Amino acid sequence: MTVQLELRGITKRFPGVLANDHIDLTVEKGEIHALMGENGAGKSTLMSILFGLYQPDEGEIRLAGVERHFASPRDAIAAGLGMVFQSFKLFPSLTVAENVVFGRETTRRGRFDRKGAEREVAAIAERYGLALDPAARVDDLPVGVLQRVEIIKALYRDASVLILDEPTAVLTPQEAERLFEILRALAADGRTIIFITHKLKEVMALSDRVTVLRDGRVADRMVTAQTDARAITRAMTGRDVVLQATAAAGEPGKTVLALHDVTVHAEDGRTAVGGGGVGGSGSGVSLEVRAGEIVGIAGVAGNGQTELVEAIAGLRPIESGTVRIGGRDVTRASVAERRRAGMAYIPEDRHAVGTAGTADTTDNLSLGHHRQPPLLRRGLLQRSAMTRRARELIERFQIKVPGPATRVGTLSGGNLQKVVVAREMSHDTPLLIAEQPTRGVDIGAIEFLHGEITAFRDWGGAVLLVSAELSEIMSLAGRILVMFEGAVVAEVPAAQANESTLGMLMAGASPDQARAAQPGELV
Amino acid sequence: MTTELAADRTLVRRTLAWLAGPVPVSIIVALAIGAVAIAIAGINPFVAYPSMVEGALTGRGPANTLQRATPIIGMAIALAIAFRAGVFNLGAEGQMVLGGLAGTLVALTMPGPGPVVIVVACLAAMAAGALWAMLAAVLQTSMGVPILISSLLLNYPARYFSSYLVRFPLKEKGSSMVATPMIPDDTRIPALIPADSAWGTALRHSLGKENALLLITRNVNYSLLVVLAVVALVIFVNRKTPGGFESGLAGQNLRFAQYGGVHTTALVIRTMIFSGAISGLVGVMLVLGSDFRLIDGALVGTNYAWTGLLVALLAANRPIGVLVSGAFFAALIVGGEAMQRSDGVSSQLSQVIQAAVIILIVVRLTLPRWLNLSRRHGRDLPAITDRVTADDEVGRV
Repeated sequence: MTVQLELRGITKRFPGVLANDHIDLTVEKGEIHALMGENGAGKSTLMSILFGLYQPDEGEIRLAGVERHFASPRDAIAAGLGMVFQSFKLFPSLTVAENVVFGRETTRRGRFDRKGAEREVAAIAERYGLALDPAARVDDLPVGVLQRVEIIKALYRDASVLILDEPTAVLTPQEAERLFEILRALAADGRTIIFITHKLKEVMALSDRVTVLRDGRVADRMVTAQTDARAITRAMTGRDVVLQATAAAGEPGKTVLALHDVTVHAEDGRTAVGGGGVGGSGSGVSLEVRAGEIVGIAGVAGNGQTELVEAIAGLRPIESGTVRIGGRDVTRASVAERRRAGMAYIPEDRHAVGTAGTADTTDNLSLGHHRQPPLLRRGLLQRSAMTRRARELIERFQIKVPGPATRVGTLSGGNLQKVVVAREMSHDTPLLIAEQPTRGVDIGAIEFLHGEITAFRDWGGAVLLVSAELSEIMSLAGRILVMFEGAVVAEVPAAQANESTLGMLMAGASPDQARAAQPGELV
Repeated sequence: MTTELAADRTLVRRTLAWLAGPVPVSIIVALAIGAVAIAIAGINPFVAYPSMVEGALTGRGPANTLQRATPIIGMAIALAIAFRAGVFNLGAEGQMVLGGLAGTLVALTMPGPGPVVIVVACLAAMAAGALWAMLAAVLQTSMGVPILISSLLLNYPARYFSSYLVRFPLKEKGSSMVATPMIPDDTRIPALIPADSAWGTALRHSLGKENALLLITRNVNYSLLVVLAVVALVIFVNRKTPGGFESGLAGQNLRFAQYGGVHTTALVIRTMIFSGAISGLVGVMLVLGSDFRLIDGALVGTNYAWTGLLVALLAANRPIGVLVSGAFFAALIVGGEAMQRSDGVSSQLSQVIQAAVIILIVVRLTLPRWLNLSRRHGRDLPAITDRVTADDEVGRV
């Protein structure tokens, strides 16, 4: 095998930080290479250097044996690199083909040749088994397909090295399996794949070799076939990690959150939540979460979970039905009233909703607590009490932050999430809504956050957990509701749940079909 | 001792870092751009700039600068509280004009002792400004018209309504000036120490006629103290009240504030009311303190609202920053006029410099590499404080 890509001694310093410390990475042609490491280990910095977003302080990049300097992503793309980011960079109002050729349009007599573009895109798609319609508008497509568009975009620019940043975060197990087939086909075709992920199972299933980063250095290099998940985890964290949560000890208590026949609209007026399903007498979603239990909602992104949770939290109007928190009808109540009724909420998007990036840690930890003692006395904010409380929470939740005055926008995903969790859980409310609580955070932080959520349940809290991560739902929840196209289509006790059945239900199979495919008890 | 020394050293370091930062560098580069413009006009900038500094800071200069700074700072603080909350009030001019109009009506018609009339006129002006601002707020919160647009457009009805009243029903008969009659002497906002008071005479004898302090106390009126009190109040509200805390967070991330339980509709309306009230107050203080009558187009012609907007931008909405940059812009204007008088350089040059400062700050011109105080590469990269950071920032590039 020939070496396709070689990074030698890559070093990158930021003020007070050594983000990459003499990192060597060698990837062979046709190889699927997994890059692993906790948040802050230096993976993203390394890939940004490779893609021309940053300049290294030291070290060199060699592509097919030739030393390269990438001043911008444009140089990197021209040299044959392609990157698929976590957040897709597509124009929603354009078609698949238009998105793919954007910036390198096919032309005929000086004018854009749409048909030609569609033909070329269809040819690439067919060659690697990427099923999609080149003429479809991007905003009509599910995320799994959008990702394929991103991959085709890179292939259209003839990328010989394809970098994927956590590509499965938004996919169902079945979609992820499809992606793996595509990636294997690309590798067989001689293309080189670098795959950044937190998920050990995917690394074991897909990669040829693994490079693990820790604290800006290479902690270990392994051949996947000769290692196991535990060894990789130890290389990442320096210790053994247990992700198996303990089951609830007792029976759930009284009902804390009750939804009856709730329907919710999306921005464009379509019904996002509603449309029958199990447990509802009419057309909306009905569910209950009781004290001391964790109810999980599984579903592929975009099937109404986000809208449902926003409606419960008071950020989106409820069209019909009722929501009760602690017995109080809060269907039309403001966010503040819901919070007073006993709701805490960890939102899906910690950057856009859960924090203010330009505000400091103290302010981010104080919002929502700032109208009660000890932060408010005689109508005035107690700044010293705010700082003191922030210090306590930083300590208790092991938030890695230089101090309470640090702006949270500078924190890594895992630490930012701890800020959100610390603020919400210190409300000591009876209800916690946790939406994608561990998305994009590293394994050490996942272990910590799962511990906090189960401890809250054992204390008698009611938890509504929404997650695209089936393993998370299966290990934490006592009951699992599956959402598809806005409706709860199945309820499965965790003890009887398995990944393939849930995956089929998430993809829209009826409980009967899922049962036939995989014998298991479904309610 | 050693810790004190260390503290001194960090202070020095931080000061140096600030001096190499966007604000001072932008000001210097903007002055350089101004120098080029002066040279193009055929005048030696090394003659023009000194007369600008002299005009702003010597003789009557400090008094003039403070006089100009008062409405500029007032408008800037009105805008700063709105911008800090993420509310883009571009209608401060209209709110100021209506405040001036309402205050004038009170001053012209209300009987009673002067100080009482002044207070009532100020309250009426604040109410007028607040209502006009609230109209823009309600258009946004109930009908989705962005405040940016509605407040900007509402400037025109305010301006021309007031213009109509001054041209026709309120116009002083027989006067060649398009203006209302003069307001009575006792409803004018007095100077800090009026020249004809016992104190004023005593000061003149002890300090001499040309003393800067004397000129300040004679020519600057109580509006300055009112504006300083407003700034102090804003500092207090921002820092010590839950509402001020919420505004600050809403300005940084509205969805975060909403999610945290802040009633954002009420916040927008409240913010516009405060912003409009301060604008209205500035309007009436200009009438009762400087012009003593409402002159057609005078409040608009001064451009205070837009200068205030630039000052708020330069100060990044911080009240202390508003004081400093408001005084700086006032000095630029006063100096520019002096330059025009002595060297024939158009006083509009100071506006060129003002605009250049703001544009350069937006570009965030810094000197980090020259002075090696910071090693940020990549222009978009926010300050990075720890390792953890570096990684995640990149992820979001």
